[in-house]
Amino acid sequence: MQDHNQIRDAARQSVYEMINRQVEDADSLIASGLIDSLSVLKLIAQLEGRLGLRLPTDQLQPDDFESIEIIVETVERVAQEP
Amino acid sequence: MNATVFREELRARLLENADRVILRILVSRTQKEPVELTGSQLLERSLALAEQYCQAPPMGVVLLLLPHSLELFLLHFGLILTGRLPAILAWPTNRIDPEKYQRNILHQLRNLPAAQVLTLPQLARNLDAGLPYRVTGCPIPDAEYLEKGFAIELRVDPVAKHYRDAAAEDTPPDAIFLQFSGGTTGAQKCVVVTSEILEAQLRRLTACLAFTPEDGVASWLPLYHDMGLIACLWFPLWNNAPSVHCSASDWLMEPSLLFALAERYTSTFCWLPNFAFSYLAGQRERMERTFSIGHVRAWINCSEPVRQRSMNNFTETFTAWGVRPEQCQASYAMAENVFAVTQTPLGDLPRTVPRSRVKHRSVDFSQLAYDLLDDVYVASGTALDGMSIRIRHADGDLCAEYEPGGIEILTESLFSGYWGNGGFQKQALTADGWYLTGDYGFLSDGHLYVIGRTKDIVIVGGQNIFPEDAEMVANSVEGVYPGRVVAFGVENEQQGTESLAVIAEMRGVFERGQAQRMEREIQKLVFSTIGIAPRYVRVVPERWIVKSTAGKISRKETRMRFLEEQAGLRHT
Repeated sequence: MQDHNQIRDAARQSVYEMINRQVEDADSLIASGLIDSLSVLKLIAQLEGRLGLRLPTDQLQPDDFESIEIIVETVERVAQEP
Repeated sequence: MNATVFREELRARLLENADRVILRILVSRTQKEPVELTGSQLLERSLALAEQYCQAPPMGVVLLLLPHSLELFLLHFGLILTGRLPAILAWPTNRIDPEKYQRNILHQLRNLPAAQVLTLPQLARNLDAGLPYRVTGCPIPDAEYLEKGFAIELRVDPVAKHYRDAAAEDTPPDAIFLQFSGGTTGAQKCVVVTSEILEAQLRRLTACLAFTPEDGVASWLPLYHDMGLIACLWFPLWNNAPSVHCSASDWLMEPSLLFALAERYTSTFCWLPNFAFSYLAGQRERMERTFSIGHVRAWINCSEPVRQRSMNNFTETFTAWGVRPEQCQASYAMAENVFAVTQTPLGDLPRTVPRSRVKHRSVDFSQLAYDLLDDVYVASGTALDGMSIRIRHADGDLCAEYEPGGIEILTESLFSGYWGNGGFQKQALTADGWYLTGDYGFLSDGHLYVIGRTKDIVIVGGQNIFPEDAEMVANSVEGVYPGRVVAFGVENEQQGTESLAVIAEMRGVFERGQAQRMEREIQKLVFSTIGIAPRYVRVVPERWIVKSTAGKISRKETRMRFLEEQAGLRHT
C-alpha cells in the first residue's frame, strides 16, 4: 500500500491525464464539469494502474472522486490489494 | 376514467397482488439485497408515510426533493392515493460550494405552485425561510452523508408563508401527479398528468408491447424522468408486473448492476437512453462476471436520437451473454405526452435510412458524399394507436416522405400546456391541438426518424444545416475524441446570415500542429459531405467543450465560450 504522498501524486497525474490541465487539490472535478460522471470509471482505471491496486467500485459513488483531496481520502479508505 | 376512479383502480391493482412482490428497490449497492414490497405492503406503507409527512390539502401539489430511496417511491404513491399531487424533482448531485448549491435549489423551488416540499431534514431547515409554502424534513435512513452538501446554513431574506388550505383554483380536477420537463437545471416546465392521459398512455403502450404480468422491468433511471417514472415504474405496476430499481449513481459506478438485476429477476424490458448502450459496452472489461440476459425481450433506446453505432456496440459486446440485434428497439417519448409516442415493432430490427436519402428543400444531399461515411438515421418506430405524427416546414407546409421538418404530435395522452402559477401556457400547442415538440425529423413509411432539436438548426444562406450532420462528419476524422464534437451557428453580420462553426476535441495530449492538420481535414470533409464550408473549425484540447450539469454536451454554452474567446482574440 502506497503512502499518502504517492497516492496524492497518482491522483494528480491521473486527473491531469484526464483533463489536460493542472488543478488545485481542492478544486471540484465532477460538479464543475471537468470530469463527467461517465468518465469516473476511466479515472478509477487510471488510478488503479498507477497504484497497482483495485478500488471496489461497488462501494463507491462518483462523489468519492469530486476533488484530488477527496480521491486521496477515498483511496486511503478503501484500497485493496489486487 | 376520472381521478377518483383511477385511484380506486390503483388500490385494487395493488390488492390484486397483495401477497406478490411487485416492487423491488435496491436502495444502495452496499446493502446488496433490494427492499421487496408486495402489493399490500406497498399500499399500506405508502399511505402511512403520506399520512406522517403530508400536510398539503387535497389536490395540493407536494414537491418531492429526495434522493433515490424507498421513501421517494412510497411517498409518490401515498400522496396519489390520498388525493395529493406529487411532483418529483431532480435530486441534485452535491456541489463543492454548499451555499451556491442551495441558492440554486431555492431559486428553482421558489416559483413552483406548491403547497409543500418534502426533502432531507437539514436541507429543509436551510430552505424553510426562503420558501412561501410548507417545507418539511423527511429523514431517510443511511442518507445522512448526502446532507454534507447542506452543512452551511443559508442566510436568506424570509418570505411570507402562504399556506394553501385548498388546492389552487386552476388545479385540473383529474390531475394525478406532475412531471417536470426541461432537465435538471434551468426553468422547470411543469406537465400535469391527469387520470385520462395516464390511463390512455399505459393502455396504448401495453397493447403495443404485448406486455403481460409475466414480464418485468429493470431500471436505473431516476423517477424525475418520464422514462424512469412512467416506463419503468407505472407501466409494469399498472400491468401487475414487477419492477426492480437501482440508483443512477450506483449504476454509473457499477454498470453491470443492470444486468445483474435483469438476470436475477428475469426482467424482460429495459429502457435506456442512447448513451447507456455505448457506456455499457465500453465498461465490459470492468465487469467481473458474465450474465445471462438472453431472456430480455427488449432493450429500448429512448430519449435521445438513436445511433446505430451505439446499438451495434452493445449487441456485439454482449452477444455471448444472449443479446441479439433484434432485442434492441427504439421509442420516441416525452413527458408532454406522458411518455411514448412511437415504438419499433418488437422482434424486428429497427429500420434505417442512409443520410444521403434524406431530402432537403434547398440542396440535394444525395449528390454529396454521405455514403463515404456509411452513416444512417435509425427509426424510432411507428406511432402508437390513438397517436398521430406530422412533419411540417417552418412555413407550415407538410413535409414529404424523407423530408425533415418540425415534429408535431396529436395524441390521446397529450398534455394541456405547461402549468404554473398563471394556469396553462398553451404556446407550444397549435390552434388545432397539435404539440410542437421542438424536435425535427422525418417520416418514411410511417416510421419516425428523429434527428435533433429545431432550435439547433443552423441556417446558412437559406439552407438548413443540421448540426448533427456536421458533428457526425467531424467525428469521423482521426484524432478526434469520439463524441466530443459540437457544431452551431454564428451570426455572419457581413453576409446577413449564419455561418457554421465546428469545434472538436483532440484525443490525448494536445499538439498545435496536429490540431491544424485536423482542422483542415474537418473543413474539407464537412464541405465535401454536406456542401457547406464551415467558417470556423477549431480543434481544441480535451474537456474544452462545455457540458451541462446533467453531463450532456451543451451547444449553447460551448457556443458562448467560443464567442467569448473570439471576442478576446479580436481585442488583443
